[in-house]
Amino acid sequence: MLNKLTHIVLLTLFTGLILGVFYPLAGQNRAEIPGGSFHSVLPEVKGEPNEVELFHLDQTAVTNGQFLEFLKENPDWRRSYTPALYAENGYLKHWKSDLDYGDESLQGLPVTRVSWFAANAYCGWKSGRLPTLNEWEYAAQLMDHESAVEADQFSADLIGWYSAVDTDKTQPVASTGIENRHGVKDMFGLVMEWVEDFQPPIGEDISIDCGTMGTMKGDNSIYSYAMSIRYVTRMSFKPTSTTGMLGFRCAYNQQPEL
Amino acid sequence: MNRTKKLSLTLFAFFLLPTALLAQHGHGNHTNNNALNPKEVNMEHSLFHMSANWTNHRNETLKLSDFSGNPVVIVMYYGNCVQVCPILIRDANRVFKAVDESLRKNVRVLAVTFDPQNDTIERLHAYAEEKELNIPEWHFITGNRSDIRELAMLLGVEYTKKGDGHFAHSNLVTVLDDEGKIIHRLEGLNQPVDEAAKYIETILNTNPDGRSHQNLD
Repeated sequence: MLNKLTHIVLLTLFTGLILGVFYPLAGQNRAEIPGGSFHSVLPEVKGEPNEVELFHLDQTAVTNGQFLEFLKENPDWRRSYTPALYAENGYLKHWKSDLDYGDESLQGLPVTRVSWFAANAYCGWKSGRLPTLNEWEYAAQLMDHESAVEADQFSADLIGWYSAVDTDKTQPVASTGIENRHGVKDMFGLVMEWVEDFQPPIGEDISIDCGTMGTMKGDNSIYSYAMSIRYVTRMSFKPTSTTGMLGFRCAYNQQPEL
Repeated sequence: MNRTKKLSLTLFAFFLLPTALLAQHGHGNHTNNNALNPKEVNMEHSLFHMSANWTNHRNETLKLSDFSGNPVVIVMYYGNCVQVCPILIRDANRVFKAVDESLRKNVRVLAVTFDPQNDTIERLHAYAEEKELNIPEWHFITGNRSDIRELAMLLGVEYTKKGDGHFAHSNLVTVLDDEGKIIHRLEGLNQPVDEAAKYIETILNTNPDGRSHQNLD
């Protein structure tokens, strides 16, 4: 009898310990992205790669379900309260009402029709931030392909996808099967994503024309062309834009933000 | 023949194309080619909607809406920037000083850092002292990263942290009216400030005591 009780107590303690250690990490679904560098297509510093420090990134884009939790705690960001300063009219217009996205099937879909301001506020609420453009691009190119041929095929498909992101056929997060080597899912093939500095300093005169594309620094690979399309598309957004093709995920510093 | 054609095409590509691109750059009517051009901004809506909490160099917590009723001059800078930023701060002060002395006490000047990691309250305070601007009308301000980025986005200030810890950034001084709407922007360094001062004086002459709280829109 006493033995059995001790057994139960020990088991409870042990389970508690295991949960205490692993649950906080497991619950967050964040990937650690080690520092490194990559080549952007922007002519920043000639030939020099962009350095990126270690950071953490959500494994999946923020869903309607998650965004609803944010709205419950932050009334200012509900559809009917958000001023035009922060979002165009289309803000969350596919939702049924302020705190109801309507169809249950939307729960696991990436939230779209959110302005940069709303995305930025969500990540701040999570004690994080939007990933910088360089962080996002760096994480996105940490893909392992079987071969160069396969990598080119992937990039070619990507160009097709960027040409016509179909906002009527959005799938749930983690459904594309595309994943980088650190477990970050759907950076391609689901929705485009906001980044902290989506209009980088150089952005002024860049547009989608051959002359401009030609001046973007790249290595002539197919991926570099897909990347140029992504940069240029991103720069065309305004911080108040609320399109069906744009979602987001958050990033976090190793040390909490001050 | 073919050769000549090829050569002229090459010439075009090498000389005319870059010229065409440079010509596009010249659209802005300011001359600071090395700095980032500020973005167009929404001037119809009040920035006092921003609900973020900020901390100034006197360690006081404040919101932008606390300045409702006062014209506000805003400049974004960071303390480790020793070449350009002192000029930006000086420009904001030139606007401040250009306002008639009897009205000046109702003007608020906010200098907001891009660099909350290095610009601690202590450093903001030391900076204010060093520039002899630790005066009631001035607030050297820090906040959390996403709020600083949000404010920059509202003002049309671009900035990017570079690998060496410095920031590439637009040089911009913004004037808000007493309802928090952007009414004037000084783009670039060392620009004339008379117009900015005139805007501010007009507001203060209409509403000399400031601080009459109005509905935001």
